[in-house]
Amino acid sequence: MRSTAFKLLGLIVLLLVGRFTVAQQPLTIDITKGIQGSGIPIAIAPFGGGAPEDIAGIIAADLQRTGKIAPQPPGTRTDYSVTGQAQSGGARGYVVQFQLAGVQGAPLLNLSFDVPPNQLRPVAHRISDLIYEKLTGEKGLAGTRIAYIAGGGGSWYLVVADADGQNPRVILRSGQPLMSPAWSPDGGKLAYVSFEGRRPQIIVQDVYSGARRVVSAAPGINGAPSWSPNGQRLAFTLSKDGNPEIYALDLATQNPVRLTSSSAIDTEPVWLPDGSIVFTSDRGGSPQLYQIGPGGGAAQRLTFEGDYNARPTVSPDGRYIAMVHRRGGRFHIAVLDLQTRQFRVLTSGGLDESPSFAPNGKMIIYSNGQRLTAVSLDGSVKQDFTLRGNGRDPVWAPYGR
Amino acid sequence: MQHITRNLIAVAALALLAGCASTGDTTGQDQTGAQQDATTEQGITAQPGQDAYSYPYGQAPSQYDTYDTTGGTAGGQAGGGRPGQAVAGGGSAVSADRIVYFSFDSAEILPESQAIISKNARVLTGNTRIITQLEGHTDERGSREYNIALGERRANAVRQAMIAMGVSPQQIRVVSYGEERPATAGQSEQSYALNRRVEIVY
Repeated sequence: MRSTAFKLLGLIVLLLVGRFTVAQQPLTIDITKGIQGSGIPIAIAPFGGGAPEDIAGIIAADLQRTGKIAPQPPGTRTDYSVTGQAQSGGARGYVVQFQLAGVQGAPLLNLSFDVPPNQLRPVAHRISDLIYEKLTGEKGLAGTRIAYIAGGGGSWYLVVADADGQNPRVILRSGQPLMSPAWSPDGGKLAYVSFEGRRPQIIVQDVYSGARRVVSAAPGINGAPSWSPNGQRLAFTLSKDGNPEIYALDLATQNPVRLTSSSAIDTEPVWLPDGSIVFTSDRGGSPQLYQIGPGGGAAQRLTFEGDYNARPTVSPDGRYIAMVHRRGGRFHIAVLDLQTRQFRVLTSGGLDESPSFAPNGKMIIYSNGQRLTAVSLDGSVKQDFTLRGNGRDPVWAPYGR
Repeated sequence: MQHITRNLIAVAALALLAGCASTGDTTGQDQTGAQQDATTEQGITAQPGQDAYSYPYGQAPSQYDTYDTTGGTAGGQAGGGRPGQAVAGGGSAVSADRIVYFSFDSAEILPESQAIISKNARVLTGNTRIITQLEGHTDERGSREYNIALGERRANAVRQAMIAMGVSPQQIRVVSYGEERPATAGQSEQSYALNRRVEIVY
C-alpha cells in the first residue's frame, strides 16, 4: 500500500516537472491527385442548430476525399444537395437530421440520429457514407479506422485513428520497436510484432479492453502476423528451425503448423479468401511472391516483373494483390490482378512500402518513408495524410464494430 | 468524475513511463510488481518483464512524441530528445570495433570485416562465460519484414564466421531488428551504408 502511494506521488511529481511531452497529433489529409472538377457535384448547406461540431464541414471533407464526389458551396446549382440540422434534444443530447435531395428536389435520403455530444463526428461520418453509397453504389470509408506505428528512436507507438486521420489514440506504447500490425477480421483485435524484452514476439491485443496475449515467442524471428479470413488462425514467420518459414497457428489450440520448407527466406504470409496463402520468398534468387494451398505443399510463383516483389496484401474480394515492387532502385506499390494477371505500378514515391486495402477494396493505404498516403486502386485519386509526427506500417481496419 | 480521475491517472502513468524511457532504461527491470498492480487497476495493462503499456481504446491517450527521420535527432519538435544519445535510431552505441558492415542486399562477410570478427571471436573463446548477442540490421529500403529476414541472415553470417573461429554456438544469440533501429537517420547512401550492419553486443 505504501508502495502504491509512493508511486502515485512519483506520478504527480513527474507531472509537475513536465516530463510528459504533449504533442497534439492532428492528421490532416490533402488530396494530391484527382482531376479538378471531377466527381458528382453536390451542394452542402451548413447544418443549423448550433451543435459544437461542423457537421456539414465534416461531410464535405469526407466526400471530397473520395475523389468521386465534388462538394460545392450551398446555393450552387447542382443535381444533388444536402441540408440538415443538429439540435440539442432527444434522449441522448443531440438530434441530427439530414436530407439528401436529387434532381428537382426529389428526396433520396431523409434520416435522423439521436446521439450524445461525443458522437457528433462519428454520425457525420455515417451520413457521409450513406450519401456516398447512395450516389456511387459503393460502400463508404468515412466511418472506418486505420492503425499505424509511430515513433522510433526510444519510444514506439501503436496508434488507431479515424479514416480522416482525426482522433488518434495510442493503444500501445513501448520502449522497443513495434511493427506489422494486422486487424482481426471483426476489427476488434490487432496482432503485431513487439520487441519488448529485446526479442521479437507476436502479440494479439484486444483494441477495446487493451488486454494482450503473447501468441508466439519462439527463438529467432517471430514476424509478419496475418489473420485467416474467419479470424480463427494466424499465419506468421518463425526462424526457429534455422531460416524463416511460414507457420499457421490455430488460436484455439495454440499449435503452430509449418507450411513451407526451403533454405531461402519465406515470410510475409497473407491469406486469400479460399484459405490459400501468398507470401514473399527469395527461393528463386530474388524476393518474389508465391502461393501455397491451405495446408502448404508446392509453391506457385505469382510475380515475374522485376527483381523485387514483396509484402503482399490481398483485396477483400481476393481478386487483387498489392505489393512492394522495386524498379530502377526505387520502391513503389504495385498491384497484380489475379483474374487477368495484369501487373500495374500504382505509385512513384521511391520508398513506398506496407500497402493495405481499404475494406471496400477501392483504396490502398501505404507508407512513404515515414508518411502515410492512400491511392485508389485505379490510381486516379491520391491522398497524403499530413502527420505532425511520423507514421508507417498503416493498416486499414475492416468494416465491423 | 470517476472517468476523469481514471484518465488523469492514465496520463500520469504515461508520464512515469516517459520518465523511465528518458533515463535510457528500457529493459523494464525497474517495473516492480507494485507499480504494475497500480497501473493495471487503472486500466493500463502491463505484463511482467515488459516495457510496453497498452490502453483500452476508450482511455487511450492521443499524444505521442514526434520522431524526425530526416534530420538526425530523435525527439524532434516535441522536445523528446534524449541526452547522451547521439544516434537517431536508438541504436545501442556499440563501439566501432564491434560493428560489421555489409554491402547493399548482401549478407556476405567482406574481407575488411574479418579482423573485427576474429578480434571479438578471440574474446569469446578466451572467456567462454561471455554470451554475445549478434544484432542484425538493414537500411530502410524495401519491405520491413523482409528486412527482418535479411538482418537475421547477416547476423547468422557473422555467427557462422565466429563458430568457424572456434566460438561455441552456446555463446551466441542472434536477433534481427531489420530497419527498425537505424544507427543513423537520413536517406543518403552514406547513411544507408552505416545502417547495414551487425552489432556484436556483449
